[in-house]
Amino acid sequence: MADSAYTDAVPLLPQSALVLRQGRTWLLLLLLAVLLGLLLRSGILQLPLLKDLLTWSPALLLGMLANIQISVLAIAIGTLAGLFIGVLQLSSVRLVRLAARGYVQLFRNAPMLILIYFSTYVFPFELHISSHYVSFPDWIKVTLGLALPASANVAEIFRGAMLSIPAPQWEAASSLAFRRTQLLRWIILPQCLRRMLPSWMNLYSTITMGTALASLVGVHDLLDTAQIASTTVNRVDFTVAIYFTTLLLFFIYCYPISRFTHYLERKYAFI
Amino acid sequence: MMDAWLSKIVAACKGIGLNYDFLLAADERAAFLHGLLVTLQLSLACIVLSLLAGFLLATLLVSQRRWLAFGARVFVELTRNTPTLVQLYCAFLVLNMLITQALSSSVGNPLTPFIWVVLVISLHKGAFHAESLRAGIEAVPAVTLEAAASLGFSRRRQLWLVQLPLALRFALPSLINNLVDLVKMTSVASAIAVGDVTYQSIMIWTQRDNVLELMLLMLFFFGVLTYAVNLAGRWLEQNLRMPGYGR
Repeated sequence: MADSAYTDAVPLLPQSALVLRQGRTWLLLLLLAVLLGLLLRSGILQLPLLKDLLTWSPALLLGMLANIQISVLAIAIGTLAGLFIGVLQLSSVRLVRLAARGYVQLFRNAPMLILIYFSTYVFPFELHISSHYVSFPDWIKVTLGLALPASANVAEIFRGAMLSIPAPQWEAASSLAFRRTQLLRWIILPQCLRRMLPSWMNLYSTITMGTALASLVGVHDLLDTAQIASTTVNRVDFTVAIYFTTLLLFFIYCYPISRFTHYLERKYAFI
Repeated sequence: MMDAWLSKIVAACKGIGLNYDFLLAADERAAFLHGLLVTLQLSLACIVLSLLAGFLLATLLVSQRRWLAFGARVFVELTRNTPTLVQLYCAFLVLNMLITQALSSSVGNPLTPFIWVVLVISLHKGAFHAESLRAGIEAVPAVTLEAAASLGFSRRRQLWLVQLPLALRFALPSLINNLVDLVKMTSVASAIAVGDVTYQSIMIWTQRDNVLELMLLMLFFFGVLTYAVNLAGRWLEQNLRMPGYGR
């Protein structure tokens, strides 16, 4: 009797835990609904607030798009430049190696905000190419300002990945009569890229969060839009709502990236 | 004596096209030096508080109580995945405003922008520390814990006397990395007009239009600060080293 009770209890346990967990989720949703209802009833969360948020949401999303645009362009430029500098860091010429290391040290240790100010104020506001004046908008300057630390970090990530490839891999490949280009293309780089991916995505996330600094030099981004909205509507509840919405929008964009990075880290951890 | 040296250096810099005239004006020099001091104070206050916050959050993250661990997890993920500047605005422009409204005008709001920056950066970096420490706590071998338990250590004493000291050593390289980031991050204080070195520099270059010169000074200053943090980290790593762990 005691025996059967024991055997029954074992398979039942996970199931009951599952039921409990599902029940808890429903309870949580119910609680949230009740809370929302109470907030609406008590007048803290009013319908005009939701209406205002809805009115401003296209502007917010456009601002967010500017952030995404800057971050994607900055990481693209940064990756290309960073890989180039990363290769220079491994060069056999001592002077080249030193220069590359200096670049990486300088731009990894500089605050992002200062680099953004640097690119905004030091670069000219228009370029003079032969007889044409081409304007050099602020958002591109910010992009370049973010590409500087991005390139230095990519170079460092690349160097780390190259050094993490065990020496026998090189030796084995050359003993199989691979040429140097073949060796790099088919044996070293695929392993390198796999190792670089999680850190690279982490860097992208950092750069994306850095784009919020663009609002400080007058680029019309999400945070700037939020500030304009808050001063235009000029109501306490709206100010609270708009800044936390901004926070939430960044979170919605960055959190999946961070989860995916975590997944990749786990997947490649033992390779 | 000092002034003679300074004007010589300024003249030498002018020779290579860098205009450091502001160093000769007493008020601007004082403002800049004060900015350096404020950045130092900010960094030190944030380093201490962020480490405290990190330890606290890490103990919450590995807590046996599900709700505590879940709450800490939500806080850490929210903090790690949103920009510091937006957090700073949420704190200073929103929470600070609400607090000022709630307090009667006679009392006044005791929270200065400086305190808000310290709070936000400490909690932000605290979340990063907590994540590193949690990884360190999980890296403590189960055998060590069993040994501690068999010696009659309670859960709490295991955490404080066995897991956290070991986790600190495992996590030290990434903690130092976080602290270097923290020092660089203090420059966002200029966004809410705390008079740190970035803010003072902006004030000076709007007057004198010598952005490049001030940039070089600031980069040098932050380079020295991050180097000092790295040195301290290396010193700690050597002093906390235990035979059998790490290199």
